[in-house]
Amino acid sequence: MNVRSQVSMVFHLDKCIGCHTCSVACKNIWTDRKGTEYMWWNNVETKPGTGYPTQWEDQDKFNGGWQVQDGKLQLRSMSKAKSVTNLFHHPNMPTLDDYYHPWTYDYQHLFNAPEGTDQPTARPISMVTGEPCEINAGPNWDDDLGGSPVYAESDPNLAGLTIEQRQQLSAVERLVFFYFPRICNHCLNPACVAACPSGALYKRGEDGIVLVDQTRCRAWRACIAACPYKKVYFNWHTGKSEKCILCFPRLETGQAPACFHSCVGRIRYLGVLLYDADRIEAVASSPAEDLVEAHRSIVLDPSDPAVIAAARASGVHDSVIDAAQRSPVYKFVKIWKIALPPHIEFRTLPMLFYVPPMAPVMANRTGAVVDGVSTDLFSDIDDSRVPLQFLANLFGAGHGGPVKYALRKQKAVRWYRRAVTVGDVDMATAERMLREADCSPEEAEAIYRLTSLCTFDDRFVIPPMQREQALEMLEGPEPHKQGAGFGFIAGPKRGV
Amino acid sequence: MVKRARHVRPWVIGGVLLAASASPAAAQDTAVYFKQNCASCHTIGGGRLVGPDLKDVATRRDRAWLVEFILAPSDVIARADPYALQLQQEARGVVMPTLTTLDRILVGRILDLIGAESVLPKSQFAGIQISERPFTGQDINLGRALFRGDRRLSGGGPSCISCHTIRGIGGLGGGQLGPDLTRVYERLLGRKALATWLNAPPTPTMRGVFAQAGIADGEVFALVAHFEHAARQGGQDNRGGLLEFLLLGVGGAVVGLIALTSAWRNRFTNVRRTLVGRRRLTRS
Repeated sequence: MNVRSQVSMVFHLDKCIGCHTCSVACKNIWTDRKGTEYMWWNNVETKPGTGYPTQWEDQDKFNGGWQVQDGKLQLRSMSKAKSVTNLFHHPNMPTLDDYYHPWTYDYQHLFNAPEGTDQPTARPISMVTGEPCEINAGPNWDDDLGGSPVYAESDPNLAGLTIEQRQQLSAVERLVFFYFPRICNHCLNPACVAACPSGALYKRGEDGIVLVDQTRCRAWRACIAACPYKKVYFNWHTGKSEKCILCFPRLETGQAPACFHSCVGRIRYLGVLLYDADRIEAVASSPAEDLVEAHRSIVLDPSDPAVIAAARASGVHDSVIDAAQRSPVYKFVKIWKIALPPHIEFRTLPMLFYVPPMAPVMANRTGAVVDGVSTDLFSDIDDSRVPLQFLANLFGAGHGGPVKYALRKQKAVRWYRRAVTVGDVDMATAERMLREADCSPEEAEAIYRLTSLCTFDDRFVIPPMQREQALEMLEGPEPHKQGAGFGFIAGPKRGV
Repeated sequence: MVKRARHVRPWVIGGVLLAASASPAAAQDTAVYFKQNCASCHTIGGGRLVGPDLKDVATRRDRAWLVEFILAPSDVIARADPYALQLQQEARGVVMPTLTTLDRILVGRILDLIGAESVLPKSQFAGIQISERPFTGQDINLGRALFRGDRRLSGGGPSCISCHTIRGIGGLGGGQLGPDLTRVYERLLGRKALATWLNAPPTPTMRGVFAQAGIADGEVFALVAHFEHAARQGGQDNRGGLLEFLLLGVGGAVVGLIALTSAWRNRFTNVRRTLVGRRRLTRS
């Protein structure tokens, strides 16, 4: 057992209101530089929809992630042979148009326009060329054009749905959507790291954050093709790849990442998970139907004395183990099992988990009376407006079992809390639902509290990052002992 | 006694060394020099090669004239010396190269060497012995194989085709660095002269290359056979080598670009535009 720690995340989709505050917070801190205009390290997608970049989930088009070939894990986009044949052109790269052409508006024109008979307008201006441009797509185009039959109907997750189910998804009065915020998953088996010919991408040993070394990056862009989530971006100005850094400068000072901190719906949770690094390859090569369970099994119980001993042996600090024991992510993923990895079939073992969204309650209208209760208490999960298969494609590698389990438990918790606070549902029914959903009243209470009444400290259990230890692994502090000054490139010195 | 012996011994050794180096070593050097620089065009008593046979040369002109000519042949020709012009005519226009390594002392020693060798019944510089038998088809084929590099030269030297071309060599012809060798058999005056020449090629480029990688006698014979055959066919290698190379290069580049274009023909396609375009088509 080779125990490592990983800063992991849970996004509670049932609470996301799609306000994009996270995206804007991230943009203002990290990607408002030249060359990064089109990047959204954090973006929020509307589902069903094709996302950003368009149809990123369709690996027949982008060839991202891993596949099992001859019993071995292989990158889909890269191999030794392909690194030669794709030397001058990588065929699986999204174009700028697949993201969107970034633009701003010519606001000056509102003030400078010569006097005329019409109101002056602010025309869209390309942020790349500075020329007036036509807007064809945007970073949240599915939201801007919600229900667009061009985009929403081309969602790759609609695979396996019947024509009837597809039509219902966009039918009037049944039309449904939910939000899907995305950042880098900081995977356990990152395809971007494996694909980089320069070795510029790496996964930080102490907290599992995946980073791009800006001095080693040689603009091969193999990471961009390899990442199945399309969360590595190419800065056309600097000629280097960039990606979400999980705000590590904030984490190192005990603050939550900007998108977590600013989240209006408080959907984001962050905490440490301990995992067994020896099992990564075995877990990532599991058959598709076992992937979710196998991924969950790689996460270790931080209270188990054997795990604690092994963690100490591989240099995980006691304070990190303590943080892992209090981790909200561990509860969602491992104890309650209601948080699931996105597209685990890409086999990168993402360490960002999603609590699948509850569909809007289906009501039967009988005359003027709206009846929200059917005889089968869980019927609206099977007959949900969002077909279970759609969620299963997103969160279960096409298999509905884990998704259904998570939805049933959430539903049971809701009914239980309704019996406690409102009282219009009798407690016996609520408890029966809890039993059927594999949940105890205590667990239901805990889920309720961490979902609805969570404080800042409940949501973000940030471990002390122990940077001094991490640095000492790479370089001794002695050479810097007498060093002085500000700035990384040139120290201060006298004269001009 | 011991003291005296110490004083004497270094002087004795020095004297012996000086005496040894005085004349036999110098003669040895001159012979080597002659072999390396003169023997490819001249014999002593072996008959004419490119240049005349030097046996009893001292009886033909006086020593002062000979020294002047050897030091700067083209100068002597330039002032229209009648004998020098006659020599040039006999050599079919080939002018003896000016050797910068020569000086008056060395020229004197060479003339002494020629004088000494002339009186011998059989000089060591009578020219190499090359078989007089007629060339067979087999010889010509072997020579051609050696020229083209189908067979490596046993001494390890580079094949002729690296720098020279010859008519009928096939392909894109040979190298363009050295001259066309189609008529070299005539230029260098036939079997014996050519064989001598090949035995120790004297031109600055070839001397450097073949100094350590001499051509074996059998190979020389085969090459001479091939050159003789080529000269008999006449003409010259009339390939426009440069143009052909250029066209082949441009053609190759075009073929390569077409191949790459077809391999990556989808490189400008784009997921989003394709998606929107397809949807618009099906809806209209």
